[in-house]
Parts: sequence; structure tokens; C-alpha cells
Amino acid sequence: MRIIGLTKKYGSTLAVDHLNLDVQEGEILGLLGPNGAGKSSILMMLSTIIKPTEGTAEVGGYDIRKRPYEAREMIGIAFQEAKLLWMNTPWEILNWHAKVCGVKNPRHAVEAILKELNLWDARKKLANELSGGMKKRVEVAKVLIQKPKVAIVDEPTAQIDIAGKYQIWEKIRALRDEGSTIILATNELGEADRLSDRVAILYHGRLRVCDTPRNLKDSIPGGDVIDIRLEAPVENKAVAELKGIAGIVDLAIVEPTHMRIYLNRAEKMLPKIMQLLSTLGVGINSINMKEPSLDDVFFHYAGTVLEESQATPSVASP
Amino acid sequence: MSKILLVIERDLRSLVRHKSILIMRWFFVIVQIGIFGLAVSRLIVVMPNYYNYYAMGVIVMTMYSVAIFTGYEVYDEADDGFVEYLLSLPITRRELVLGRSLAGGLRSFIFMSPIIAGFLFFIGVLDPLKILTALVALYGFAFGVSGLSITLAVGLRSGDRFDIIMGALDAFIVRLSTALYPQAFMPGPIAALSTFNPLSYASDLFRWSLNFNIKYLANPAVALIVLVIFLMTFNFAGVMIYERNLEGGNWR
Repeated sequence: MRIIGLTKKYGSTLAVDHLNLDVQEGEILGLLGPNGAGKSSILMMLSTIIKPTEGTAEVGGYDIRKRPYEAREMIGIAFQEAKLLWMNTPWEILNWHAKVCGVKNPRHAVEAILKELNLWDARKKLANELSGGMKKRVEVAKVLIQKPKVAIVDEPTAQIDIAGKYQIWEKIRALRDEGSTIILATNELGEADRLSDRVAILYHGRLRVCDTPRNLKDSIPGGDVIDIRLEAPVENKAVAELKGIAGIVDLAIVEPTHMRIYLNRAEKMLPKIMQLLSTLGVGINSINMKEPSLDDVFFHYAGTVLEESQATPSVASP
Repeated sequence: MSKILLVIERDLRSLVRHKSILIMRWFFVIVQIGIFGLAVSRLIVVMPNYYNYYAMGVIVMTMYSVAIFTGYEVYDEADDGFVEYLLSLPITRRELVLGRSLAGGLRSFIFMSPIIAGFLFFIGVLDPLKILTALVALYGFAFGVSGLSITLAVGLRSGDRFDIIMGALDAFIVRLSTALYPQAFMPGPIAALSTFNPLSYASDLFRWSLNFNIKYLANPAVALIVLVIFLMTFNFAGVMIYERNLEGGNWR
């Protein structure tokens, strides 16, 4: 999938601002951003539900503006809010969806997915009798049963309990392993970190950065932190020599026997640090390593933490 | 074609979920024909067999009011966001609109079929050809009304405007038609307006096919042509407006 200058305006509000992005076949791409960052608008343009104001995208080689029907045949979407009519049951909803999407042996497939997602007992209930979590699982089940070339899942585990979240995550990974490319829109950092092969950070409708979670974390200068507690107060000579190691961004003395080192790729740098301290005869009580979270990454690229930006969305959701 | 059939299947299934509405409307039609129709036909002596004329008109009117319901559904789906799901499916917009329009006509037909069957039995029309012609007239009309309602639902893009237009349409389309009284008895301007009303032609074609006194009816060939133009125009308009207004995200 190639996204080329994709832009969406609602009146004077710029929801998506000239987005350029390539999505690799068979990857899970996490779209991370607060509410109003433009995630849903991007997903709806890719699904050909709404037309871009400018730019376009190619899905499986089909331009979403010129060949929307062919593009739609490649795509399946699980919406942020479950799109279920009150008068239909999960069985009817999934059975109809499977038939429309050309799923072979739809009855068998529907039965299987309902059982796998613990919806079998609720299969004859009307949609308005289902809990929020059940509705969400029915919504996600649509994509899982369809197994599209490109699966779009918008906050797939919102309103779902912890056990259900793990189950859905497992299903999304399995869908990727079966050959689907997955675009995962979420504002849950843990979900993006756990599932995504690459993460694209969106803010104010613009793409700030896109890379693997590992590379994003490493891209923060001094993002990794090593806390070293010593047997005796640290000497200036040791501090100077540690600061001389290439890759160490900063070093702070928290307490006389407690050093905090800011660096990148801590797991690779640690042996060098240990060797130097050993040579200098510095005794060590404990070592603690901490790598940056995606929240730190988000802060680095967006200038705010995700939770704060959720509270004050700057671009209206469509 | 198979996608259109799936759209029809979905809409037909939803009909049975509205049991209470169906029962209420059946009750209304039966009371209207069985009580009001009988009483008013005794008052009207200038026109022979007005009771049958009236009952046939009520059947066509009810077909109209059930078929127009498709528009309300389409509007509600756009309003609550369900339309996004429909637009994301591998179905062309044309298949979606035509499927819904055909289903709207069929639903209207299925809803009225027990009453139509009872009425045909009551008036003693058992000729299959006449029955088939009558049913084709009714279905063609209901199909066109569904297309009209979809066109209005997605074209108006405002809840208030939609309700006002539908209310006005509901009030005028019956009064300015030959559904309840023949053109010969209408004041001049109303008679003139009724000639532009598809409900007039549907009612007259239905009556013609059941051998009602031809003196009071429009030319059946003209009626058939008008109905075909009506259903083609509004289904084509529905497809065009659905594509332009919904796919552009303009329903928001």
C-alpha cells in the first residue's frame, strides 16, 4: 500500500495533511496518535468510504480514487465504533458479511469465529442486547472472518477486558501470519508496541515519524537509561572516562554511590561500561536498565505526552 | 447480480424485525377498507362501485407509505454512521442503491400481499393474467417510490428538511392523485396536478388490470410508461446522489 500526499479537509479544518507513507506487505503498521490526530480520516479514505481532498493511495496496486471498487475488494475494516444494526444478531451480521465478502463456506467460518471469540452463546441475541465488549468483538470478527489482503482495525480492543485483549491481539497476529497486511489505529501505547512491526506517529493530521518500535526508541538521544549503584562514592576519574565512551549521551550523579547514564542501545553498551568500571576497580552493587517507552517517543516527536494530547484534541474527528 | 440479491436479502430480513409496526399498519388498512370504506361508499352514489375504487386506492397508498420507509432507514443509517460500513463493502454504489430500492419495493409488496390476496378473493378476480398485471403495476410503483425515498434521504442531508419534505409529500401525494377519487370529480387545478403524480397512474393501472370501469381511469399504456419513467428516473438519481453525497463524506 502506498499513500501519496493524502489530505482531508472538513471545511476549514485540516484533518490529514499531505500524508506520505508506504505500508509493507505482511506487516502490522501501528498508527499512533491522540483523538483528532487524523487516524480515522486516513482509515476511511483508504477504505474508500470518504474521498480525499488531495492526494491518493494505492491498495494492492489499485488507486483508491480511480478504482475504488477494486481497492475495496482488497480491504476489510473493523471500525472504532461497532457498526451493527440493532435488529440483527451476531450470527446474521457475520453470515451476511461473509457472503458479501465472498468467504467460502460462510456458515462454517461464522460458527468457528463466534466460538473462538466467545460469542457463540450470544449468537441469537439482537445487537442492542449485547454489551459494549461483545459488540466490539463482533466488529473485529468481521475482519477476522474476511481475511482481507489489507485489514484495517481501528482501536480493536477498546471496551474489551484484559483476557479479551490478549485474545484479539493473538488473532490479529495470526491474521498477519496468514498473509494480511494490517493497519492498526490505536491510542494505546502498549497495544501499538506489542503488535506493530512499525509505528507511524500522527499529530495534528501530520506524520511525525514512522519506523520500528525499536528504532523509534533508539532514535531518542539518550533514551535508554542505566542506573548503577556503587559500593563506594564514584571518583571523578571514573566519571570522566565513562563520559568519554562513544554513545554515552549524558551522565548524572544522583547520589555519591548512584550514577545514571543516558545512552542509546544500552544492551550493546553495557559490556563496555562494565569492563571500564572493572578496570578502574569500581565495585558495583546493582545495575538497572530501562529503555524508553513509545510514550517517550511520542513526546520526543510530538512535544507532548499522549495522555495530555488526548484531553485536548486539536483536530476534530470526522 | 449476486451482490444485489444479498442487499435485498438483508433488507427483507429486517422487515420481520418490525413486527409491531407491521401489525399496526395491517390493522389500520383493514379498518380503513373494512369500516371507513364501507361507510363512505354508501354516501357516494354518483360513481358505481366506489367501494372497490376506494379499497384499491388504499392498497396503493399503503404500498407507497411502506416503500417510502426505505428512505427513513437510509437516512437513519447515514445519521448514526452505519452507512460507513455499507460503503466499505466490496459492493458497487449502484448495486447498493438498486438492491435497497428493489428490496423496498419487495417489502412493500410482501407487507401488502395478504391484504391484496384477500381483496382479490373478495372481488372475485382469480384470472392469473389480471392478477399478474395488477401485481406488476403495484411493484413497479413501490420500486420507484423506494428510489425516490433514497434520493430524498441522501439528497437533502438534513434531518429537519427530510422530515418536512417527507411529511409534505405524504400529505400531498395522496390528495393530489386519483388514489381516492377519479380525476373527473376533481377541481380543475387539482386534476391538472394529479396528471403529474405517479400515484395516480399506479392506482389507475391497478384498477384497470382488475377490470374496474375504464371510464374513470387513465390510459393504461400511458400509465405504464409513466411508471417505468418514474422508477428509472428516481433509481438513477438515487445512484448518482448516493455516490456524490455519501462517498464524498458529505453526509456528516
